[in-house]
Amino acid sequence: MSRYGLDRLRSLNEMVNGAPQATRSFIDRVRHATRRDVTDWMFKGFVAVMLAIAVAPFFMLVAEVASIGLEDLLGSGPGQGIQLLTTYPGVGLQGGILNAIIGTSVLVPVAAMVGIPLSVLGAVYINEYSPPGRVRQIVEFAADVLAGIPSIVFGAFGFTFIVFYLNMGMGVIAGGLTLGFMMIPTVLRTTQEALKQVPMSLREASLALGATKWTTTWKVTIRAAFPGIITGILLAVGRIMGETAPLIFTAGNNLGAPTSLFGPGSWVASMPFTIWAYISDPRPYLQVRAHSTALVLLLMVLAVDVAANYASRKITRRLV
Amino acid sequence: MAGQKSDDFADEEAEDVFSTVVARVRHAAWVLRYGRGGARADLLGKIGLFIPALASVLIIVLILTFLWYESMPILTSDVGGPAIFLEPEWDPNRDLYGIGVFIAGSLACTGIAIGVGVPLGIGAAIFLSEFCPEKLRAPLRMIVEMMAAVPSIVYGLWAYVVMVPWIRNVFAPSVQSNPLTAWIPLFQGQTNGLSLLAGGTILAIMLLPTVISVSDDALRSVPRTLREAALALGASESETARKVVLSAALPGVGAATVLSLGRAVGETMAVLMVTGNSLQIPYSLFDPCYVMTSIITNQLGYAYIFPLWRSALFAVALVLMLMSISFTAMAKIIMRWGSKTRGIV
Repeated sequence: MSRYGLDRLRSLNEMVNGAPQATRSFIDRVRHATRRDVTDWMFKGFVAVMLAIAVAPFFMLVAEVASIGLEDLLGSGPGQGIQLLTTYPGVGLQGGILNAIIGTSVLVPVAAMVGIPLSVLGAVYINEYSPPGRVRQIVEFAADVLAGIPSIVFGAFGFTFIVFYLNMGMGVIAGGLTLGFMMIPTVLRTTQEALKQVPMSLREASLALGATKWTTTWKVTIRAAFPGIITGILLAVGRIMGETAPLIFTAGNNLGAPTSLFGPGSWVASMPFTIWAYISDPRPYLQVRAHSTALVLLLMVLAVDVAANYASRKITRRLV
Repeated sequence: MAGQKSDDFADEEAEDVFSTVVARVRHAAWVLRYGRGGARADLLGKIGLFIPALASVLIIVLILTFLWYESMPILTSDVGGPAIFLEPEWDPNRDLYGIGVFIAGSLACTGIAIGVGVPLGIGAAIFLSEFCPEKLRAPLRMIVEMMAAVPSIVYGLWAYVVMVPWIRNVFAPSVQSNPLTAWIPLFQGQTNGLSLLAGGTILAIMLLPTVISVSDDALRSVPRTLREAALALGASESETARKVVLSAALPGVGAATVLSLGRAVGETMAVLMVTGNSLQIPYSLFDPCYVMTSIITNQLGYAYIFPLWRSALFAVALVLMLMSISFTAMAKIIMRWGSKTRGIV
């Protein structure tokens, strides 16, 4: 047995027995390094650098968006400071982004009202009511496919199906429905994961006490899985808050707040759409405004993501 | 309801499926008629929950139907036909609807993204699951999850404001003036920064979190005993990671790659902002290109009143949809192969 294995076994032994062992010092290890040692260190260093490179863009992105966006958030001109969050764009788009904030906070509940019942109830059916088999496989596959569909395809579908075929017109309802469809896969798969983790003994105990399946499901199983379900919902909300492509053709844009549920009055702005519109505009203050909008959106999305993590650490993002 | 009942017995392959279904339906009818409140609620609940469960299937069928229906005019007309998938000329004013140029642009962008992102992501995942100190692991994992949560428009904004000028002012001049790299065909041509390279790089960054978290999950689910066995046989830690753990987790890593491929092809906003959207097939990293998602985003609004133009755009969407379905199916097949050959995924 070579000493590579021995070192590892020794440290395992220490972990198990707590017996202190004399280990070789760092200097010794470097002095007696063989080629395999060097390869070992190089490989470890290499993958560590890879991870550093992989996460570096995140920090660069946050730093860039924050450094320009804070200029607006802390400034005192028109549409800066607190006015950024409390005024409409107004003449020349010089005001704040209240229209976008209202838009996103209207679209998300509409989407949630469609997406959450469909996905949570669907997950309850396939996990609690249907035996493992064809139905479950089909629904799981459909959810996975739905998760992979490009967002612009959702947009095009919403445009032709909801806006024209169902004749709802662009606006809150069409945009919200499209986003609601996009929520389904995330919530469905996380809910299913959460339900799977509820111990069978809980259900058995409830059934043995004479509760019906319906009561057991709603009073026992769902309650036990609740943190996981909340995590799924928050993850999905975080995802749809940042979606632009589905909204371009379904929600329109609006410089004020929407005034009705249908018709032209229901057109609604959203934070991502506003960023896109502002960054495509050559006026310099709109470029800055795009950054501050991005900063606000980023803070909102990351807050939702942290909340999702906080709600349940056990549920991980499942992708297949 | 009958379909639902028969599915319950689909695995048993009963010869008299029909009579079983009849018996189940009869039983259900009996419960509805004479059953107590609880039994009735159970049955109604089962039926009521079946409908939301079908929602995702229904949405996919609806999307496919509508894309197919909308893209039929161009696929059956004289100026279009199925050949549009290969033709590189796109000019709706002259009735040229070749969407091959967009497919080529998407493939080029995705190729760069996969080539850069997947190796980097797998390396990062190996560090995260094998060598990372326990205290660092949770925060790093959290950062990766946050990277996945950053909206694509924000990535696009960053790429547009930081990466594009960097390519224009720093990367392109330095590569093209360096005699070691100037001759490489990939580095030819003038650029204003909006290029295939910018699109591919931002895509790579965006699919990193997917690759890292899926590969990390796959590596973590390799049993500890495999690692201990390898170490006990005298392998060094990096040899264990490379030759034992990675090969045991190969199906999961493969699925991560295929999934990220799907994400890369379907990514919309960030790519739209940085690829330059020029109707040409890119031959160099500095050439602008036009990807499938961008053309839909840019032209669907104008094209809606022109039947053939609109139809061609929906044909692009249909291609995207079929690609994403096949990637998901491929990932599933890889996972199934993994659980068959390795017992883990």
